[in-house]
Amino acid sequence: MNATERMNAAINLKPVDRVPNAPFYEAPICTYFGSTFRAALLEDQAMADAHLAALDEFRFDWVMVGMGLIGGIIPEALDCEVSFPEDVFPVIEKTTVESMKDVERIAKADVHTDRMERFLKGVSILKKELKGEVPIACEYISPFTIATRLRGTNEIMADMYDNPELVHTLQDALVPLDIEIGRALIEAGVDYIFYGADMECPLLISPNHYRELVHEPTAKVVNELSRLGARVLPHMCGDIIKAGIVDMLLETDISGIMPGNLTQASVLDLRELKEKVGDRTCIFDNINPNGPLLIGKPEEVATETRAHLEKAGGMSGYIFSTSGTTSPNTPRENFEAMNREVLNFQWA
Amino acid sequence: MAIEDIFEAVLTFNKVAVAEGVKAELDAGTEIDSILNEALIGALDVVGKKFSEGEMFVPEMLQAAKAMKAGLEVLKPYLRSESVASKGTVIIGTVKGDQHDIGKNLVAMMIEGAGFEVVDMGVNVDADRFVKAVSEHNAGVLCLSALLTTTMPAMENAVAVIKKSGLAVKTIIGGAPVTVTFADQVGADGYSDDAPSAVELVRKLMAT
Repeated sequence: MNATERMNAAINLKPVDRVPNAPFYEAPICTYFGSTFRAALLEDQAMADAHLAALDEFRFDWVMVGMGLIGGIIPEALDCEVSFPEDVFPVIEKTTVESMKDVERIAKADVHTDRMERFLKGVSILKKELKGEVPIACEYISPFTIATRLRGTNEIMADMYDNPELVHTLQDALVPLDIEIGRALIEAGVDYIFYGADMECPLLISPNHYRELVHEPTAKVVNELSRLGARVLPHMCGDIIKAGIVDMLLETDISGIMPGNLTQASVLDLRELKEKVGDRTCIFDNINPNGPLLIGKPEEVATETRAHLEKAGGMSGYIFSTSGTTSPNTPRENFEAMNREVLNFQWA
Repeated sequence: MAIEDIFEAVLTFNKVAVAEGVKAELDAGTEIDSILNEALIGALDVVGKKFSEGEMFVPEMLQAAKAMKAGLEVLKPYLRSESVASKGTVIIGTVKGDQHDIGKNLVAMMIEGAGFEVVDMGVNVDADRFVKAVSEHNAGVLCLSALLTTTMPAMENAVAVIKKSGLAVKTIIGGAPVTVTFADQVGADGYSDDAPSAVELVRKLMAT
């Protein structure tokens, strides 16, 4: 099987020849292979070169781009003031929505900025080079999470009681823009949309607020991107089973679920998730990028990785991954240990 | 309105009722300590507990903190003239390269609610600014926040710069990706995984 066949088989819950290996690798590989960190994140050819070099060495089953897109390109396209430092991720210097009248301005934004076009060109280069043998995944953010970028997380969280109309209206304005960005990504060659829903996770907002404010815009975006031909893979931290969010996500056209475990207290049990979703969708594993992978020794990384793989134990629709962004400071020997363990692993 | 009613009004996010209740208690001659500790701080402690147990979430914590602040505003003039002294100064900020402020804000509100002076440095704060603030305010505790794995190295750097400065301040680190192992590794004096435990940690470190 090539990577595309392997990933698609897993997503369709069909047998695979080995565990699909799809970690969130972008930050470390920008450090390992980028001419500069910023260039590898944002600039077409440098971005493509870094990912192709990483693919040669690590044999991932996907190419995963987009941290610069969600961290800087999208907020900038929607009027935030963003800086793009050489050695770290983009920084939003100033938010852009203070009141309802700003929403009208945002709704008219042209998302096809120069930086967006360079990023899309990078995706196109990768698509051409990969010849369909390796799928391209791209990070992407939900209307609610974009809203927190544009207005400020604190403000949106307060608005949920003080001004819920603004939360609704801002998301309504963002849905078509988010879809437009998704359409451009798909046309450039993105196969999988990694739908980041960081700020609406059950660690931060209640299930009631999720249903009342987030579910509808989520369904609109997910369903449309799916209709346009992408596999949409939502990612969320916290106990998404207990919060009922898995059930709501399963009402939409998702192709998999990627649970996060960014906080130690809320690691979602993969077996429990499998029991919940059954054969309705695939599951991405959630090895902690901030545990041994970041601060341990290679043998500890190998042990943790093996434990995850063994726990998955032949589960249909299982894809190995990390629960979120791997740090650019991930020691290379640790990253190699994780990768080696996945590639060599065979379920008994 | 009794102390219990103010307590309840904080838990139901009723800012007006909290402010009116505090004023009524002051007029009735109730001790300021009781109003502050039993009604306001007590209620926010309950909010923190409910947050830790997944019964309340960030929007609810923000509303409760706002309600508590409405009461504090009424109390403030009396706090200065009475013997209810500040328990010490805490500097807090999100480290360089990181714009996330929700966790930091919650921790700041909870610590302030617990009776400490809080100097909030905001987001994207470099190590030298932390050093300057600790020195200027003679702070007992410095709280560093990061939401991104990518900015955790800035946290490590800030702790190192503070240690090197020789200032007698305790450092606490926290934020979604931060772990106790990481805290130990970078030499922080403490780690907390949520706002309520950060308050407890500040109380403990200030007492040493």
